[in-house]
Amino acid sequence: MKIRINWVILCAIILLVLENSIVPWLVPPQWSERLLPHLCFILTLFVAGFGGRHVAFMFGLGFGLLQDSLAYGHLIGPYGFGMGLIGYLAGLLAERKSFTIGFFSWVALVSGLMLDSIVYFIYKLFRLTDLQYAQVFYWQIAPTALLQLLIALLFYVPIRRYLVKLSLSSAEDSPE
Amino acid sequence: MGKQVGEIFRFMRNKRLFILMVGLILFIALMGFSLGRNRLTWPEKFLNDAFGTAQGTLYRPVGAVADFIRDLGRLSDVYKENEQLRRTVAQYTQDQIKFNLLEADNKQLKKDLNFTERQKNMDNYRYLIAQVIGSTSNPYEKTVTINLGSRDGVKPDMAIRTVEGLVGLVSKVKTFTSTVTLITDLDPTSSKGTPVSATFLGHPDSFGIIEYDDETGALQMTKIDEHDKPADGEQVITSGLGSLFPKGILIGTVKSSQVGDFGLTYTAIITPATKFDHLREVFVVVPPEEEGQ
Repeated sequence: MKIRINWVILCAIILLVLENSIVPWLVPPQWSERLLPHLCFILTLFVAGFGGRHVAFMFGLGFGLLQDSLAYGHLIGPYGFGMGLIGYLAGLLAERKSFTIGFFSWVALVSGLMLDSIVYFIYKLFRLTDLQYAQVFYWQIAPTALLQLLIALLFYVPIRRYLVKLSLSSAEDSPE
Repeated sequence: MGKQVGEIFRFMRNKRLFILMVGLILFIALMGFSLGRNRLTWPEKFLNDAFGTAQGTLYRPVGAVADFIRDLGRLSDVYKENEQLRRTVAQYTQDQIKFNLLEADNKQLKKDLNFTERQKNMDNYRYLIAQVIGSTSNPYEKTVTINLGSRDGVKPDMAIRTVEGLVGLVSKVKTFTSTVTLITDLDPTSSKGTPVSATFLGHPDSFGIIEYDDETGALQMTKIDEHDKPADGEQVITSGLGSLFPKGILIGTVKSSQVGDFGLTYTAIITPATKFDHLREVFVVVPPEEEGQ
């Protein structure tokens, strides 16, 4: 299986625009501080699963930094670092195990928790936030990760169908 | 000893770990460098402007539709609101007459006291209407993007308000767009943000600093003098003490008050006048000194 990386990059740019313009309107006002899904990050996980760890690392790094510079208020880098690292780790995992949907949902959930935790600890390190981890986890990290899992599962079928080129060996069991 | 050094070298030869370490160092350097920086380089400006424009074409129509749907649900409230507004307008016309008289009076007095031209113009703020064209999904940077930039005369630290009251400060300015930090991001215990000084509408001599407590999610006015005990329901406005910040913008009303940390000052909890989520149209307040430049 190979991922169509050009199309994925185009999709990621579109998703990044959607994330900053449409998603805030879809989330109900009471939840607007709690549900902050990162659509490009979900795409990074797919790249890790279908494209390998090096591609995922570069992809995560690039879009993380892009996201950081768009939201630039205090510092640039937390998402670039987090998404690059997690993209690479998810790629490592995906190369060892077969990439089934069950395994993928675990990866999506755990890495979603990891990304927001990394970002939290970076902000904590630079003393830009003084919230307790437990509180942030309950308030924002956990709900966001669950929402991201849901979005990842929704993306799973379209991405497999349109953005992944099937290699000859696996083309037999899924006719197009 | 030699064996240990050898082990360290073998450890370093593990390429993956080595790259991770270098990456970590690079990133910490990048974050440290970008912390507290005010100028943007042209690639950043270009990226932000490009994405900002693309977002704007979506954010505004979607916002209009979302607002329309929400308004449908509140149709019954609109009648009541309309009545309230009419009453306010009546009050306003009354006040306008009084205001004009006072202003004329004030001008005359200032003239008598030989105020300089700059001092006379102090309160003539200019408003630029800006559309909100995006908000970010980063939980620690509560920023929105507006469609005015340095080309329109926006500068860092200018105040942003809606019709209702203060919203935030301009933090980063690009050519065609700017980033606005909301006042809910002014956390006192962290090393960020410009403090906003405030005063009570009732007694303008009072002084306090606006802060936002992340843990309780409440806007506060702290360091109020013990002689100015805040009364519930009192209106809080910006005091204009401090550089670019205009005075007289409504921040909110006092919800409750308590004795501050050291027992010598008061802290007031404030109900904000504006809602900070789902902003669509805001005003950039341009102070008069800036206009000549």
